[in-house]
Amino acid sequence: MPLRVQTDVKEIEAVLHDILSTPLPPVARCRLLSSGFSAGHALDVSENIAGVKACLGCGNCIDICPVLSREPKRREKTEQRTSMALENLVGEDCDRCYACVMSCPQVDTTIKHYIVNRRMVEVMSRIQDRIGDAGEPDIDLFFEEALNGN
Amino acid sequence: MDFNIPEDMKMVQTLTRDFVKNQLIPLERQVLGRDSDIVGARRTLPQDTEEKLVKIVQDMGLWGLSVPESLGGVGLGVLGTCLVEEELAKTIIPFNFGDVTPVLFDCNEQQKVEYLLPLLERKKNTCLALTEPGEGINQIQMEMKAEKLNGDYVLNGKKIAFTSRQPDFAIVFAVTDSQKGVRGGTTCFLVDKDIAGFSIVGGEEMTGWRAQVPVPLTLLFNNCRVDADKILGQEGKAFSLGGKYLPARRIVRGARCIGAAVRLLDVCVEHAKSWQSFGKVISDWPTIQLALADIAIDIHAARLLVYDAACKADEGKDIHHEAAMVKAFSTEMLKRVADRTVLVKGGPAPARELPLEMLCQSLLMQNFGERALEVQKYIIAGNILKLGTII
Repeated sequence: MPLRVQTDVKEIEAVLHDILSTPLPPVARCRLLSSGFSAGHALDVSENIAGVKACLGCGNCIDICPVLSREPKRREKTEQRTSMALENLVGEDCDRCYACVMSCPQVDTTIKHYIVNRRMVEVMSRIQDRIGDAGEPDIDLFFEEALNGN
Repeated sequence: MDFNIPEDMKMVQTLTRDFVKNQLIPLERQVLGRDSDIVGARRTLPQDTEEKLVKIVQDMGLWGLSVPESLGGVGLGVLGTCLVEEELAKTIIPFNFGDVTPVLFDCNEQQKVEYLLPLLERKKNTCLALTEPGEGINQIQMEMKAEKLNGDYVLNGKKIAFTSRQPDFAIVFAVTDSQKGVRGGTTCFLVDKDIAGFSIVGGEEMTGWRAQVPVPLTLLFNNCRVDADKILGQEGKAFSLGGKYLPARRIVRGARCIGAAVRLLDVCVEHAKSWQSFGKVISDWPTIQLALADIAIDIHAARLLVYDAACKADEGKDIHHEAAMVKAFSTEMLKRVADRTVLVKGGPAPARELPLEMLCQSLLMQNFGERALEVQKYIIAGNILKLGTII
């Protein structure tokens, strides 16, 4: 749904990094960094509506949020299904799984690619760090040993 | 290529099998509690029962099974340890044959007398304080610091540790050189429980359903001053400790998975032979037979992997690759077997008051430290890419 020419991640990398490292649902701020609504999807007032970055209220982020799935009671506070509602409901308990960003139709694909390539791989490479090269100790062995306590 | 277990190992296996069958399995009710709501369940055996069992094992000459002879143990090889652990894993009773973490094998003479031998003689208990609370996936960033001060070290931080009994001393990993990071700058300390600035939270005896969930101890270090001679191994070389022995522990854990799977298969067979549906014994139904066959194939495959790796370890070969395969396969194997068992037993998952769930739970937890299975696959893939497919 975003515009054909989308935000270049290089220009916003610093602020994006901050957003993704903050314990709050990042979807709304990622949406505001995005290019906004595309004219192709607009109805009769295309000139006016193209580039609008407003939340569509589709509720994808609310539906996919693992925090809200674990604690459905939080949803009772409001019937709104916007990203603002998500931020109010989840707040600092955010797991930072970035599922809300991934599910938002208004967030640019460039940002989504950035998260998949940088954020998620970053986690995997940290796991790989623990293996160690030849001759280096395998730290995982120690964690296994620690979990194994008699 | 000889697939036979040597005669002396077979003897050890038979001894342990009889011990588990006659001594441990009858105690399962004590641990699980006698009521269906597991209100009487406990985490450990009563002290006197445990002492009785230890005495029997000592008389069998198997106490301190995998501890090297030079350190006062039996020094049984990896294959022997695997055979014994496989038998021991058939029951949920929290009991082992004098298992000491290989991290301690690198202690010096004084530490041996002060820590290792009392541990082996059960006069002391320990815990490995490595993980920290709230670390999530990024375990490699250790926050616990040890600063050098007039020849001593001052420890500050928080650790969590799993152990079933209150520890008398902790094996603590702390960063002494933050420049070098965790890998090169971590030092291992032996910290006595009564030292100033060190406190342990938790570890109360749990009963009922809470006994079935392992709750870690929290170890708090607040300006805890430790002598330099309490360093285990060398400064900054904490992750080189137990280097010769640690990879083989992965194989032994694989052997434990086999033991649990064999017990599940026993339960399945017993159930399949005695239960009837639609006028037939359920072992006559093809789906049940398929499930039993699946379990048997899985167990056999895992066993070959484990024994092969164990033999290679005993020959002194590098077993990193094999151990990774054992871990990746045997953990998944146990999950599959548990799934098939539920199918044979029929209906909902096995009830809490039966040993089935506990069997799988503790083993899977040991093997699933984080996403450790994926890590094993990285090791295997790394070797294939580096050395080719002939391994």
